[in-house]
Amino acid sequence: MTFRQFAFNNVLRNKRTYAAYFLSSAFSVMVFFVYAVFAFHPDLANGKINNNISTGMHFAEGLIYVFSFFFVLYSMSAFLKTRKKEFGLMIMLGMTHTQLRKMVFLENVLIGFFATISGIVLGLVLSKLLLLASENFLQLDESLPFYMPIKAIMLALAAFIVLFVLISLFTVIILRANNLIDLIKGSSKPRTEPKSSVLLSWLALILLAGGYAVAMIVKGIFVVYAMIPVTLVVIIGTYFLFTQLSVYLIHKSRSKRSFFWRGTNMLFLSDLSYRMKDNARTFFMVAALSAVSFSAIGSLVGFKTMSTEVLLNENPFAFEYVSYEGNESVAPTHLEAIESALRAGKFDYARLQATLSEQTTDSGSKVTVVKASEYNAIAQAANEQTVQLSGDQAAMVYYANKVMGEKTEQKARSVRLSAGYELKPSTSISPTSLLIDDSYYVIADSLFDMLDRRETNVFYAFDVKGDYKKTLKIGRNLTEIFHGDNFRFQSLAYDAHQLTQGFGVVLFIGLFIGAVFFVAAGSFLYFRLYADLPDDKAKFASIMKLGLTDGELSKILTRQLLILFFAPIAVAIVHGAIALNSLQRLFGYSLMRESFLVLGTFVLIQVVYFLLIRTRYIRQVLDFIPNR
Amino acid sequence: MEMLSVRQLSKIYGGKVPSRALTDISLSIEEGEFVGIMGPSGSGKTTLLHLVAAIDTPTTGEVLINGSNPHKLKKRDLARFRRRELGFVFQDFNLLNTLTVEENIVLPLTLEGERVKVMEEKVAIIANKLGIESILKKRIYEISGGQAQRTAIARAMIHSPKFLFADEPTGNLDSKSARDVMETLSEINRSEGTAMMLVTHDAVAASYCHRVVFIKDGQLFNEINCGESRQAFFQKIIDVLSLLGGNAHDLSTIRV
Repeated sequence: MTFRQFAFNNVLRNKRTYAAYFLSSAFSVMVFFVYAVFAFHPDLANGKINNNISTGMHFAEGLIYVFSFFFVLYSMSAFLKTRKKEFGLMIMLGMTHTQLRKMVFLENVLIGFFATISGIVLGLVLSKLLLLASENFLQLDESLPFYMPIKAIMLALAAFIVLFVLISLFTVIILRANNLIDLIKGSSKPRTEPKSSVLLSWLALILLAGGYAVAMIVKGIFVVYAMIPVTLVVIIGTYFLFTQLSVYLIHKSRSKRSFFWRGTNMLFLSDLSYRMKDNARTFFMVAALSAVSFSAIGSLVGFKTMSTEVLLNENPFAFEYVSYEGNESVAPTHLEAIESALRAGKFDYARLQATLSEQTTDSGSKVTVVKASEYNAIAQAANEQTVQLSGDQAAMVYYANKVMGEKTEQKARSVRLSAGYELKPSTSISPTSLLIDDSYYVIADSLFDMLDRRETNVFYAFDVKGDYKKTLKIGRNLTEIFHGDNFRFQSLAYDAHQLTQGFGVVLFIGLFIGAVFFVAAGSFLYFRLYADLPDDKAKFASIMKLGLTDGELSKILTRQLLILFFAPIAVAIVHGAIALNSLQRLFGYSLMRESFLVLGTFVLIQVVYFLLIRTRYIRQVLDFIPNR
Repeated sequence: MEMLSVRQLSKIYGGKVPSRALTDISLSIEEGEFVGIMGPSGSGKTTLLHLVAAIDTPTTGEVLINGSNPHKLKKRDLARFRRRELGFVFQDFNLLNTLTVEENIVLPLTLEGERVKVMEEKVAIIANKLGIESILKKRIYEISGGQAQRTAIARAMIHSPKFLFADEPTGNLDSKSARDVMETLSEINRSEGTAMMLVTHDAVAASYCHRVVFIKDGQLFNEINCGESRQAFFQKIIDVLSLLGGNAHDLSTIRV
């Protein structure tokens, strides 16, 4: 047997140990690659989405790379930990350190290389599926066709070969630091009880409580000022929550015998304090990342829904056309085009119009006035309040922005026209039906007719009965056909569609990155768990001999897994809920429904993940116990 | 009264080439009796212990502990039966590193849902008897092998079992600690009247028994009783061991 044969057999006959490491590496390559396929998609790159988004996508790609780095490093160290004893044995039998390092380095580079290749192949298949899914799910307009992602392949290949070589070098260095005695004793070396500081535990509690309290109290624009300090405080608090407070609480429960000495509590909790300490940093990372993605996705979804609703509320009519001065020659053809398109589509519609007459005030500025009868016709069509005016009565109309915070009410202001009339509005109203850039006055027909009407713009509204969404095609065609500067054409269906498109891409990126972090976090736990499996097997085999029922065993394991799986998620959900709650007060719009949807989906995924792993894990421990 | 009765017990391990580990073993242990099982490596001692303690199932034959057959119990009831009626001491102690000495000792009682007060009283009594009061708060990695084995004995005895199984309890200990452990077991056997079954390679350990049963190639080989003197009994054990094959002097040093 030559050295090379030995190294080769070592891999082949240790399939199971290597498989976990191989799969986790291939998995991170796949995630990175699939994302790269999107980021480099020619349709997205060719200006269909704006530059900021595509910069954002590449930034996120960098994030995923950093994450992959830690992920691979982590699985690598878990993998090496299980083989410590083997290495110790080899050195004891006379293998030189150089040979050992050579072996480990070669193994790792080989595994890395094959993992990269298989990750890319798997990624190709997955990206095809995801491209299909993204179209349907996000109602993206034109399909994102599958393409041969040469750029993405090259990037993933280069990035991961560098990554694996670096990590292999890194482990070789770590390996040297180990003494023979540590290698041989491997993981069986007894460990001292995890320590925690009372002070830092309290600090965790205070920081979290303080952060939450501030987040719950602040309102409106103060949310923005409070955001960064509160986030920092909560992040530090979360860190100490996992590293200190959790261990401290378990330690405290130890001295409470009426609790600790009951049933399976002792077995369950004594182990948990070690696992909490081991996993504290992972938990912290998972909780922080999940909280950020929860709030990001939640606010994105909320923002999209909000914008769409505002758009629909403020535009009661399917089409609006405003003809400005100098457009008189084009307007009839445009209007005719709209009407003929509506007729061809067999839509039941009503055409409404209002003359917007510009008057000069005695101070020289311009003010717009509208005839009451025309205003009332439009208001009626939009199911809004009409105004009753006679003589020189007037009503001021203004636009109230409902997006940020409360309605901005405006008091009626009187104005004196240069023609000699004084407009003293008795009321000020903010409708949605007829709006222009500035506030304007509705005046009685008789007064309107007396005014000079040289400078006029005309507002046309097409009130289409039935579902406005059906007018999307007309809206898109007309938007493309109409050219000129002296008019404004607006199709509600097309605008709403554009909004969905714009948010769609951003949402997709958000959901994708969120999902990546989420799955990666789950996999972190999974590998962590399997590193502990041999210890658990040995431990439970001996306790079973003393007399432990299967039911009690699965109860202990289930409770441990429950905590490992849901502690970070639970914390992330609480953080996310508080954050969304604050954002809700900033926008003055309820994000509840969207938040629950997003959080619920993630929890559901985690529950499925938990159930799968729990069953497998318990079965593996039970299978190990003889005579069952 | 008969505490353990083994009738025509056989065990065949399956696989491509089935191997016969035990053949038609019959054995009886009285209440309060301390019986040693000896034999060369691979003779089936540990298999016998596992079958008797219901850790493994026999191919044929019957085991009765205090009149009931543990192999006929449901898995759930078997676990209960073990932690109520039986005590175990292992070569590698099988103590949990994450618990203190005291917590290790009360473990079987916590699973039974015993009251804390009762558990504390029992720990105090048993620790006093075994001389481990001073280490009760220590962790497992802080105590020596002899102390660990006495902790394991305390755990096995805390619920006053009817029967104690010991699988090479002195195998990992030096001769001084081994003697301490055997004296402890012997003392418990005397004062509590617990029946014990000890599997060992160590002739010195075996000499603490009332009776030693020898097994060779899965079958009963011989059986000798302790007479007046432990020294004479020890000599008799050595004689049988040399008869079993091998030299007297190397047998007594085999520990694993």
